Amino acid sequence: MQRLLFIFAVFMTLGAMAQNKQLLYGFDKVPQSLLLNPGARVSQKAHFGIPFLSQIHVNAGSTGVTVFDIFKEDESSINDRIREQIFSLNNKDFFTANQQLEILNFGWKNKNGTYFSGGIYQELDFMLYFPKDLAVLAWEGNRNYINNPFDFSDLTFTGEVITAFHFGLNKEVNKNLTVGIRGKIYSSIIDFRSTNNSGTFLTREGEGLDNFYEHSINNADVSIQTSGYSSLREMDGSDEVVKELLGRTLLGGNLGVGIDIGATYRPNELWEYSASMLDLGAIFYTKDVENYSAKGSYALQGIELIFPPIVNGEPGIPYYDTIGDDLKEAIPIDTLSNSYTRLRPLKMNASIKRNFGRRVGSESCDCLKMGGLQDYNQAVGVQLYNIFRPKGPQLAGTLFYQRRFGRYLSAKATYTADPFSYTNIGFGIAADIWKINFYLAADNLLSYSNLAKSNGVSLQFGLNIKIKEEE
Amino acid sequence: MKRSLTFLSIPILLIFCFTACVKDTDFKQGDDVSLTPVVELDLIYFNLVAEDFFDQVTQTPVLTVNDTTKIEFLNESGVRENLVKADFQFTFTNSIPRQFLAEFNFLNENNEQKYTITTNVESGSEDDPVITNFFETIEGADITRLTSSNKVVVSVTIPSSDINLEGTLNLKSKTTYFLEF
Repeated sequence: MQRLLFIFAVFMTLGAMAQNKQLLYGFDKVPQSLLLNPGARVSQKAHFGIPFLSQIHVNAGSTGVTVFDIFKEDESSINDRIREQIFSLNNKDFFTANQQLEILNFGWKNKNGTYFSGGIYQELDFMLYFPKDLAVLAWEGNRNYINNPFDFSDLTFTGEVITAFHFGLNKEVNKNLTVGIRGKIYSSIIDFRSTNNSGTFLTREGEGLDNFYEHSINNADVSIQTSGYSSLREMDGSDEVVKELLGRTLLGGNLGVGIDIGATYRPNELWEYSASMLDLGAIFYTKDVENYSAKGSYALQGIELIFPPIVNGEPGIPYYDTIGDDLKEAIPIDTLSNSYTRLRPLKMNASIKRNFGRRVGSESCDCLKMGGLQDYNQAVGVQLYNIFRPKGPQLAGTLFYQRRFGRYLSAKATYTADPFSYTNIGFGIAADIWKINFYLAADNLLSYSNLAKSNGVSLQFGLNIKIKEEE
Repeated sequence: MKRSLTFLSIPILLIFCFTACVKDTDFKQGDDVSLTPVVELDLIYFNLVAEDFFDQVTQTPVLTVNDTTKIEFLNESGVRENLVKADFQFTFTNSIPRQFLAEFNFLNENNEQKYTITTNVESGSEDDPVITNFFETIEGADITRLTSSNKVVVSVTIPSSDINLEGTLNLKSKTTYFLEF
């Protein structure tokens, strides 16, 4: 139990809203911004990510509770604090973790001005909604909740590890409009999820009962879908598991397809509008699928003794076993290996950007142009991000300020409001040093002085080789 | 100047990221975390009628009736290792004009008696059924005896009986389990 809490705590400490890379979106100095908008404006002639180092992204968060809330040093007991948190959280609160590692990333512009880019990345995504009712039942028991149903729909979690192989095209249609599309093949390494559960557990007292209470499971419909799990369970030795996982990384898992689309529209030098839709696709789970499902209703009022006349040698009535059998019959637990298809969590970005400040790239001074497309050295704007999650969309809004300092450095600062917090300040820089492009972006900076008080932090950094237009 | 700005800002941001710390927290408190659910569950119930205490065939009184049921959950590791206290409540409703002696013997796998609860039930009448409540709290060393049991033998004894005896003896029972994980 302690271990479980600690793991939760670590998740909460690590990282903002899973998968929102508000600092990298629209940050055209970083080639990886093309992964967030395939229709972003490209400022380089070619790029090649340093394998395994071109993008490392970690991100975790929780709504409603921080590590500090639970583990702070003060007079109160940790158990009282946990209890307080259980009651202050609701079933829309969640814990999430997202990690990405880019294995390969490259891109080049052809003679017609089309920028091709491709690569491979691995991604882990985990999300658990706070199972409020079940947590209360586990923490308090049912004594204070007679006649109050505990709802199984509170149980919702998803987790997966995938690799994605992608290739995209980006084309400046005219000086106002850039569009892009990226095709993806996903290979699922492991996937598990439990969503859309329903049913209740109720301890009822009242008229018409044979005993004090009636304990009942009503219209239960609880299921867990897994793929890539059952075969690992049967393997022995970590070598065998590692070999199998590597195979799945390289298109050996359950496969899926998807596309990203995006566009940037700049009616004039001052204004820029962009939008993208990512992971419009699905994975088809056909291999190594194991689904568990329990459906039904059952009620019990304890064990009824009927005091049969004693006949020597005859066994007694198997009351207890009968209850067990009845329960299994009323709510059978089925293990199925039906294939399933799952849509990828669709992500959407949109932004409006207003350029201002000193003009760069004008006739008087070309010194700051450096192949970039920003015609002014500063910009402010608004970004919106949305990801579709099991219990509905999660929205985040960002205000940003972008500035370039000379030939080598660009910076972006963000303020983001999302379900985790309203005090998320982020900062990212991208530097071009010789042909090396380096970037680092982190948000929730205010919490870095004490991560324990943070609801989430996300961090991305990477190294690329970048060849600029003029070279 | 601008170049130096570049080189300056990278380490600054790096320092920002890598000096991040976790303060004013004590993870050792994790050892003190304990779950203390209180679970109320029905135990057994029955409805005995006066005729159960008289054998119609042999025309002789049956002074004691017995029945046994397994209660294996008591012996399961989750309960055995974490049960701190158990409160039993037995509520008899008697309309038979006799007192009863009710006995609940908790036995282990080898049918050795580990714990016994005994109570008297007040006599009643059909017009005026009498309710007898009996509470038993088991804690401390007795808990181990209770949780080493996996069945309970229920015996109901009547001091005397005849063919004309009428009425019913009803039992409702529940247990409140205080667990600590």
